[in-house]
Amino acid sequence: MTMTPGLRKLALTVHVTSSVGWIGAVLAYLALGVSAVTSQDAQTVRAAWIAMEVTGWFVIVPLALAALLTGLVMSLGTPWGLFRHYWVLITLGLTILSTVVLLSHMPTVSSLAAVARVADGADLAGLGGDLVHAGGGLLVLLAITVLNVYKPHGLTRYGWRKQHEERARLA
Amino acid sequence: MATVPLWTDSNATENDTRMAELPAYPGTPRWVRVFGIIALAVVLLLVIMMLTGGDGGHGPGRNKPSSAVTEHGAQHP
Repeated sequence: MTMTPGLRKLALTVHVTSSVGWIGAVLAYLALGVSAVTSQDAQTVRAAWIAMEVTGWFVIVPLALAALLTGLVMSLGTPWGLFRHYWVLITLGLTILSTVVLLSHMPTVSSLAAVARVADGADLAGLGGDLVHAGGGLLVLLAITVLNVYKPHGLTRYGWRKQHEERARLA
Repeated sequence: MATVPLWTDSNATENDTRMAELPAYPGTPRWVRVFGIIALAVVLLLVIMMLTGGDGGHGPGRNKPSSAVTEHGAQHP
């Protein structure tokens, strides 16, 4: 299945926008997390956690799902394929992993935001800033971006066989 | 380089069998192996951090300094 050039451009635009937007949203989430950790002011910590919940559910999750979906469309609709090149395969694995971790972690963020809404100073101090998840996620997303830009060579065994089958068919 | 037959025409004789040679798979690229080793090391590090519960580990409150958070500024009437 190969997409028309117009459709491919549209899918690529949505894919790049959602992928880069995902990184930007995680950076914003990380900044809020740092603010929650470093601030001595209870209202600032509460506001940070409420904003982290809203950013997570309404910006990061939609962008992650859009990036995953458009990535699948781009792979299956172009000669790159999904399992032929290592960089595509690793990118797919890391994107699925990031999305699964994100979706499984967001209910915890909602619980902590709910605590932050009513907690006093001592309880707020124990909430932290979710820096491990945000920082780790950011590193994984940057690794995915590097793979997508550089597209390092390397066919999988499946890709190697497919490539030679197609060459033999054309010969 | 060792080769294996990709396909053969079952109706052809041995002499005119048409074969496309599939070169042997060159193996996994070095960068993939390096990437895999780094990923494995990171996973092991995370598992150790979770099991030991050390600072910077998993879960909320790991990054919080011990200082207390206090109410500042104007309060709601």
